[in-house]
Amino acid sequence: MRTDVEIVARRGPGGRTVLPVLRATGQLAVRRTGATTVHLVATAFGPLGGDDATIRIVVEEGATLGVLSVAAAIALPARGATTPSVQRIEADVEGSLDLRLEPTVVAAGAHHRAELVAGLGPHGQLTVTDQVLLGRAGEEPGRWTGTTRIERGGRPLLHTTVGLGTGEPAWLPPVAPRAYVSTVHIAETVHIAEEEVGVATGQDAVRLPLPGGWVTTAWGAELHRVVRAAAALAPAAPVRVPA
Amino acid sequence: MTAALLTLADSRLPAGGHAHSGGVEQAIAMGVLTDAGSLTTFLRRRLATSGAVAAGLAAAACGGGDLAALDAEADARTPSPALRAASRQQGRGLVRVGRRAWPSAAWDELPALPHHAIALGVAAAAGGLGPRDAAQAAAYLSVSGPATAAQRLLAMDPLTVAAITARLAPEVDDVATRAVADGLPAATDPLLDLLAEVHATRKDRIFAS
Repeated sequence: MRTDVEIVARRGPGGRTVLPVLRATGQLAVRRTGATTVHLVATAFGPLGGDDATIRIVVEEGATLGVLSVAAAIALPARGATTPSVQRIEADVEGSLDLRLEPTVVAAGAHHRAELVAGLGPHGQLTVTDQVLLGRAGEEPGRWTGTTRIERGGRPLLHTTVGLGTGEPAWLPPVAPRAYVSTVHIAETVHIAEEEVGVATGQDAVRLPLPGGWVTTAWGAELHRVVRAAAALAPAAPVRVPA
Repeated sequence: MTAALLTLADSRLPAGGHAHSGGVEQAIAMGVLTDAGSLTTFLRRRLATSGAVAAGLAAAACGGGDLAALDAEADARTPSPALRAASRQQGRGLVRVGRRAWPSAAWDELPALPHHAIALGVAAAAGGLGPRDAAQAAAYLSVSGPATAAQRLLAMDPLTVAAITARLAPEVDDVATRAVADGLPAATDPLLDLLAEVHATRKDRIFAS
């Protein structure tokens, strides 16, 4: 099944965020839930193998938008098919976008592909989190392939593909985690020194600097612990913009 | 194939690769790599991630791609400062020997301190090789150097380590083929980032990375 979501956030009178475009078809609905937030609501079970969702988000200059979801998504295999389910997020960010969807749980036998392509303008700010759990309780792990590409003004800031689960060539014991969390934060300025944020490491967790921000990644057996490990590495203060 | 490819992939080419373990030294310290079986696993995950990315970048650089743009793509795929430094150090080493070995105007188009894979692509082109050859050299080097490092650090039987590397040949070929066919891969292994960054803070390390 095809799912399309389109959200445009604009700075309105008095600095309020207005949403001139807010529509969804297929397996997701989108609801405004706050001054600057919308929630994605699943209207069907899944995604199932073969399902294809595209979420287009535009945050215009001066606008602030948070995109959340109501519940974890459970990716399930389609009967008799091995095609993956796909979720593609295309974000065009001149303002500030906070993309925090609930975890994706990939059931045994399912393969879910998550793609994010974000283009930031000169003042664009982005925070995006992926939370993944392979397999429901007592079940074999499914497979998740996540690609993130973030550009500012056409220059690539981060481009990575992480493959987890059976069939992924770099998911091999003894380091074959069921739970994975990654958060990318890019602040407004591109002139911030990378040393301002710097590297931090934990057990099965690492924070790396990006131009204007950072990326944290953590992995392990249990999602709630991995979420905490990733959060522990996020800089305590917002990224400081040098004068 | 020409002998230039053998020269490029030869560990005796003085490009500085012998100083880098590709995460092996730290993997041993953290107990992830202990024996022949876990060395094979480690090399596989390296080949499938940083090896595939290096193969894609080397092929594109060899095929006449915009070298500065490819270097930026390499940075975007290598957020770890320790891995970037290791790549650029080896890139500089390869440029130094490559300029002497295969004089060509292409060397002048490289950005200062290029990533190793970009320099490797230029070296391949200067040596009369094609993108597939460049990808093959990059994929092979992503496992050959770390295998030698493991042999030294764990005092492993050289025959065992040679056999492990040789048996990965079909996978090396496959990575090189896909790097040419599918465009620039972006596969990453967060474990390698973590190993590199913890390793970089150590005072007692033998290898540079």
